Amino acid sequence: MATTNATIALTSGVTDSSLSVSNTTELNTAGTTTGVNTMTSVTKVLSSTNQVDLITTGSVATTHAYVYINNPSVDETEYFHITIGNAGAGSPTDTEEIGRLYAGDFMWMPWDVDDDICITPSTANDMTVEYMVFS
Amino acid sequence: MATTASLTLASADIAGDPVSVSKTATLTKAGTINDLDQSTGLNRVHLRSTTNKTLLTANTEGNDLAAKVYIINKATDSSLYVTVTINAQTVGKLYAGNFMFIPWSQTDTAAAIEVAATNWTSSTGDIPVEYALFHEDTDFLTNA
Repeated sequence: MATTNATIALTSGVTDSSLSVSNTTELNTAGTTTGVNTMTSVTKVLSSTNQVDLITTGSVATTHAYVYINNPSVDETEYFHITIGNAGAGSPTDTEEIGRLYAGDFMWMPWDVDDDICITPSTANDMTVEYMVFS
Repeated sequence: MATTASLTLASADIAGDPVSVSKTATLTKAGTINDLDQSTGLNRVHLRSTTNKTLLTANTEGNDLAAKVYIINKATDSSLYVTVTINAQTVGKLYAGNFMFIPWSQTDTAAAIEVAATNWTSSTGDIPVEYALFHEDTDFLTNA
């Protein structure tokens, strides 16, 4: 059993009274206090605007995982559509868009490993995406 | 005025060598370097429903705009989880103490973010959930 912690800090001056939130959580297997013990870390360069399966359900052996995706671009026109759904056999069309990951943005979410996580670059430039999966 | 989000992932023993990843993002409007300028602030609700409840209502005006959502399950019982869905598509389960921070596209009005205390019973007690939305649209309301 490994011990892995995720910490988030949000600070915002949007409102008159500033917002500051900080939380740390230990990454455990579903419904337990047992730490996850598997980690995958990948960097890919995508060179077309085609939607691709980024993280497939077959790549994880559990039913509960944590996913980190990062768009390291510094060009504000370069973003990714992040979708989740029934990617099927090489036909990732039946998917729901979660959101767009703009340049410099990251996302962190739990994943129940029922459906693939897909990604669509906004441009055909070489766009780098980084992701990690803990399970 | 800026809003920043920082994430640190750290483990001393999940791999042969310690792992530490840190990332900070300044939240900007879609395709620009301009700061997001609207927020719901931090909200707290207590879930006691095993069926989906709308946490954030989708607005199609937000489809091409930037929005970021933070949600945390503040329960302390490790078995209690909150199922998070978008347009009925399950994203994942937030167990006690778990949080998520995601971009949110509102491709249509069905793209609401919903939560359910899936394994709640009258004996487990409510599941506290806190959330915040940072966005850029002028007509972007939440209806917890």
